[in-house]
Amino acid sequence: MMHDHEDPKFDTWLKGQAESYHTPSPTPREEMWQRIVAERRRRSERVVELRPWLRWTLAAAAVLAIGIGIGRWTAHQPRPVNGTPIATNDAAANPDFVYQVAATQYLSRTEAFLTGFRADLRSGTNNARLASQARDLLNTTRLMLDSPAANDPRMRALLEDLELVLVQISQLQALPGRGVHDTDLITQGMDKSNVLPKLRSAIPAGPVPVRTEGAS
Amino acid sequence: MDERELITRVRAGDGAAERALYDAHVDRVYRLAYRLAGDDALAQDFTQETFIRAFGKLDTFRGDSAFSTWLHTITTTVVLNGLRKVKRFHQRETNIDAAHAVGVTRREAEPDLKARLKQAIDALPTGYRTVFLMHDVEGYTHEEIGVALGVETGTSKAQLSRARAKLRVALADFAGEWTT
Repeated sequence: MMHDHEDPKFDTWLKGQAESYHTPSPTPREEMWQRIVAERRRRSERVVELRPWLRWTLAAAAVLAIGIGIGRWTAHQPRPVNGTPIATNDAAANPDFVYQVAATQYLSRTEAFLTGFRADLRSGTNNARLASQARDLLNTTRLMLDSPAANDPRMRALLEDLELVLVQISQLQALPGRGVHDTDLITQGMDKSNVLPKLRSAIPAGPVPVRTEGAS
Repeated sequence: MDERELITRVRAGDGAAERALYDAHVDRVYRLAYRLAGDDALAQDFTQETFIRAFGKLDTFRGDSAFSTWLHTITTTVVLNGLRKVKRFHQRETNIDAAHAVGVTRREAEPDLKARLKQAIDALPTGYRTVFLMHDVEGYTHEEIGVALGVETGTSKAQLSRARAKLRVALADFAGEWTT
């Protein structure tokens, strides 16, 4: 049964015309295959690459757990009549504390990289090194997106912007013929979305609010 | 070698079989990714991610449906989620492309029609647009689309019908093109 709004002539004509919509170029199968192989290898090695990150996170989580434990234990102790006030534990007071610290450190690294990226472009640094650094940061960006640090809508929007920029930079090595055009697009994209100013304003002024390992 | 045997060999860690499976399906995956994304770098990124995921979870493929159907389910998931993520960036790309397209299309035979068609397809709701491109442009069946998008076949048909209706209204100025 044909509905009133159906028009076989239009449908046939439309199919023909729509062929011109986003017409794919020939499949770059060899290029993509090489990247798939490399990416699968890299992902399988990611556990090793992430060890310092995991060690740091686990150490911070352990400190947090001990802090909470001490806090709960002291909360059950009889309150001294004339005792000194019990100190509060920042980490216990804010469960997202670890992630905020990690986010701050990550944002600082990314800011340094993107600032250097512009300078490196002008000085003609090879794209392979930039792409490699971008991939490393991209991994962290995706971890951050999946962490409670991304619960804040502004942080999430910033991380998504950064993810896009880093994806583009990480592709530079694989598309050598499009280098100049691609880097132009990336810098235009960064300018339009104000990535760097947003990034800088997201990094808190002053020292990171945690004592790092070895600090007194 | 049939596909079932190829998949068994891939599961056993045969690299050559992986490449053969990739070669057999990459064109269709890339074409769909490109049609939906409209950007070569994104299409390549989505295609790569599709195959990385497919190889990574091949053990979960039970063979209830064709491998291509299973693969296109992953493709549409990767592409649609990816496009959601890159929406703002993609909009900027579209603007740049549109700015370039104005200059290019002036020299083509039917500049207004192509530009208006692109605009009309871009303006379709995501579901309608996906079904329209998969069915009318890339030749997927409603059954394949239904599985890939996780919807009933009837829903796919209804969305295609609505997509065409919207496009017909949007392109009404060109009615002479299809009525003659």
